[in-house]
Amino acid sequence: MIEAQNVWKQFKIPHQRHNTVLENIAGVLSVLEGKRYSYEEFWALKEVSFSLEDGESIGIVGPNGGGKSTLLKLMARTMKPDKGRIEARGSIAPILELGIGFQGDITVKENALVYGIIMGIQRSQIRKRLPSILEFAGLTRFQDAKLKNLSSGMNVRLAFSIAIQCDADIYLVDEALAVGDMEFQQKCLDKFREFKKQGKSIVLVSHSMNLVKDFCEKALYLLNGETKAIGTSEEVTQRYVEDMQTLYKAG
Amino acid sequence: MVILTLVFSILLRTNIPNFAAWILLGLLIWRFFAVGTSQALGCILGNPSLVTKVYLPRYIIVLSNNLANLMGTTLEFLTLLPLLVLLGVNLTAYALFIGPILVMEFLLIFALSLSLSSLNVKYRDLYQIWDIVIQLGFWLSPIVYDPSLIPSRVRFLYSLNPVTRLVDTTRNIFLLNTLPSLFDIAAVMISVGILLLIGFLTFRRLESRMAEEL
Repeated sequence: MIEAQNVWKQFKIPHQRHNTVLENIAGVLSVLEGKRYSYEEFWALKEVSFSLEDGESIGIVGPNGGGKSTLLKLMARTMKPDKGRIEARGSIAPILELGIGFQGDITVKENALVYGIIMGIQRSQIRKRLPSILEFAGLTRFQDAKLKNLSSGMNVRLAFSIAIQCDADIYLVDEALAVGDMEFQQKCLDKFREFKKQGKSIVLVSHSMNLVKDFCEKALYLLNGETKAIGTSEEVTQRYVEDMQTLYKAG
Repeated sequence: MVILTLVFSILLRTNIPNFAAWILLGLLIWRFFAVGTSQALGCILGNPSLVTKVYLPRYIIVLSNNLANLMGTTLEFLTLLPLLVLLGVNLTAYALFIGPILVMEFLLIFALSLSLSSLNVKYRDLYQIWDIVIQLGFWLSPIVYDPSLIPSRVRFLYSLNPVTRLVDTTRNIFLLNTLPSLFDIAAVMISVGILLLIGFLTFRRLESRMAEEL
C-alpha cells in the first residue's frame, strides 16, 4: 500500500550559481554590496495525490519534465517532499536505475552479490538464489567472466534479474522494462504479473501507452507537475494521447 | 616513502637515533590520514547513483571508503614490520598498541570525511582547498623533523593537532618501548569526539538535500 497526499516538490533555479567556496565568498560580498541573492522557484510537483492498494499497479505517464521521475524519487525516499506526505506500508524496491555499483573488473557472480546488497537483499539470500538469478538473466555460462566483457544488454539483464529478487511489497519501475530483447521483456512482464497475484504493488513509469493500458489498472497523467488526469489506465492513456495529438496539430 | 627516507636521512643530519625507522613510522601515520581524508572527500560526489537512485544510509558510502583505506594502511604496516626489525627496532609487547592507535586515527578520518564529503557536494572546489590543507598539515606535524625544534611559545598551539599526538605515540611504543601517555590518548579521544559530533551534525544537515544537489 502506498499513498501520496498533496505532494509538492520545489527545485530552486538560482540566477547565479555558487558551486565553490570561492564563488560563495564572492556571492556574500556582492550581497553586502546590495545585490540580492535570487532564484527562481520551480515546482516539479504540485499537489499530487494518489493511492495504491496491495496487488494493484499504477502507471505514471506524461511528457518529459512532467514530474514522473521526481515522484518516483520521492517514493523511493531519496528526496523529501516540500509539502504533503507519502506513506508506504511495506518495503520498497526502487528500480530507478539498473546496475548501480557495478564494477567491470570483478566477476559476474561477485557483482551480483554487491548489487544485491545495495538493493537490500541479505547476503545469504543472494548466495542461495544466485543460480536462479543467473538462469533468469540467461548468464549461467558467463558467471565467472569479468563484467566488463559482457554486452550492455547482458549487464542490464543481470541487474534486472537481481533487482526483482528484492522481496519488497512495492516495486518502483522507471522505464527499466524498455531494455533487453523481446524474450527478456516478456519474461519480466510475466514476473511482474506474478508479483501482482502475490499482492505486491507496482508503480510503473513508462512512455509505452500499450504497456500501461495492458498492465496497470490505474494511471496518473502528469503535465508540468500537475495532475492532468487520474483514473483507470484506459481513460487516462486515452486522454494523454488526445492531448499530445492536439499539441502536435497546434504546434 | 623510500625517497623521503633517503632524502631526509642523508641530507638532514639529525641526532635522532634510528632516524630511518623514526621517519617511516611517521610517514605511515601521516599517509593514512592524508590519503584517507582526500579519497573520502569525493566519495559522495563520485557515486551519485548511490544517493539519487537507491535508498541506503548514506554514511555507509563514506564508511566503506574509509574502511578500504584502513585495510590499505594495515597492509602497509605489515610490510613495514620486517623492515623495522631489519633497521634494528626492538619489538616488544608495547608494539601491539599500534592497533588502538590505528583505530583512533580511523575514527578521526571518519569524522573529517563525514564533514568533507557532504560539504563537497555543495562546494566543488573543496578538493583543491583540502589538498593545500594537507600540504600545510604535513609541515605542521612532526613527520620529517624533530618536534623539539618547535619554539615553546607556540608549542601549545602546535600540540592541538591530533595527528601530532598519534605520530608521537606510535614512535614511543616502537622506538622507546614506552606506554602511550594517558594524557595523549585522552587528548586524541576528546578531539575525535568533537570532530565526530561535528561530522555527524554536518552530514545529517546536508544529507536531506544531497539528492537535489547532485
